[in-house]
Amino acid sequence: MYELDFNILYNALPSIINGLRVTLLISLFSSFFAFIIGVLLAFLRNTEFSAARFAATAYVELVRNIPLLILLYLFYKGLSNIGINLPSIICGILALSLYTGAFISEVLRSGINSIAREQFEAARGLGLSRRQTFSLVIFPQAIRIILPPLGSQFINLIKNSSLVSFIAVTDLFYVIYKGAVDDFRIFEFFIAGAIIYMGLTGIVAVISNLLEYYLKIPGRTIKV
Amino acid sequence: MFWSDIFYNFDFLMKGLLITLELASVSIIGSLIIGVILGVFRYSRLFPLNIIATAFIELIRSIPLILFIVFVHFGLLPAILGSPASFFQSSCIALTIFTSAYVAEIIRGGLKSIEMGNIDAAKSLGLNYFQRLAYIILPLAITRMMPALVSQFISLIKDTSLASTIGLIELTRSGEIIYERTYHELEILLFIAFIYFIICYSLSFLSRNLESKSCYPIECRELTPIN
Repeated sequence: MYELDFNILYNALPSIINGLRVTLLISLFSSFFAFIIGVLLAFLRNTEFSAARFAATAYVELVRNIPLLILLYLFYKGLSNIGINLPSIICGILALSLYTGAFISEVLRSGINSIAREQFEAARGLGLSRRQTFSLVIFPQAIRIILPPLGSQFINLIKNSSLVSFIAVTDLFYVIYKGAVDDFRIFEFFIAGAIIYMGLTGIVAVISNLLEYYLKIPGRTIKV
Repeated sequence: MFWSDIFYNFDFLMKGLLITLELASVSIIGSLIIGVILGVFRYSRLFPLNIIATAFIELIRSIPLILFIVFVHFGLLPAILGSPASFFQSSCIALTIFTSAYVAEIIRGGLKSIEMGNIDAAKSLGLNYFQRLAYIILPLAITRMMPALVSQFISLIKDTSLASTIGLIELTRSGEIIYERTYHELEILLFIAFIYFIICYSLSFLSRNLESKSCYPIECRELTPIN
């Protein structure tokens, strides 16, 4: 009979904390870059240049339909094939931000589409340029409407960051997996890992809910 | 470039693709069934069941899939069965349970979007709770949520690549086996990415077609004039 023995986790605590630090680092950097990429793509998909629109749409469709694991392998193993050797943690951040950026741009696009057409026309009628219309009128409203799905994209990013352990980054999942397999204490380590990941995603969910509450557009009922 | 690697190992890759498709289709069917049951539990007011369903859904949705697959393969199934399960069984069970939590949330969203009028009409016709659910509310909810379900299944197909990490020889793993021998990773990976893209993009194309239709079969029936 298997008996749970959580004392085993005390010995592994330093390595778990190290792994958690790597996961946090990757998640923070990737969310930052993913957000920038997402906004850029959403802006490109709204410009009048059909080539830029097409390129951005093609990029989003391409990345959204490829598994993240393959994308990570492409950056880590594929690029080294043509002579570009990046450190694995950089590859992880790159792949994660490019992947999540495509999803964020899709979320942003839905937010932009939900804003009344008249607002574009009014802003253009006031003499704002297309870029000004996007950055001063449309974007501030869209970002407030899409906060809940945006939060869930960041939650997905944290969960997806566990995949970087397959390109030799010693993140939280790697530490959990290694501890579980080395000591053959599967249940203890995986329960600990699940609780840590739940905590991380829970924190993001709480932040997203708070932001949603404080930044809500007065008088607008948000339907998701 | 070494594209001939793909040509020489085409049969092997296609065998992997077949496993991927098998895994995906079994998991899609399984997660749809379990997901609908869970979603109905979560929507219902049957006291212990809704709490259990909610806790289960929230737990599954907040952990990474890879953690769950590895846990099922190395921890849960050996503990239940007493002997190690095959790679296909454990990845299938893990993917099914994992996706069913997401499907349940989608189904619950669909159930909540049903107008009171439909339920009242069903009540006035004398249908009991389970009849209302089975004949009126669930069909409406599922058709309404079809685009969301399809996009969830697309991500399920992408997630089958994670089964390669516990050793199931599906598309990703068969590619790995080839490039571990030849060291020409880029070509094989691009080819695999292309196959995943074709499968997922055609499905998302389908889902967009569903989305663009303004009404679904059941709701269209209400609008057609009766002569």
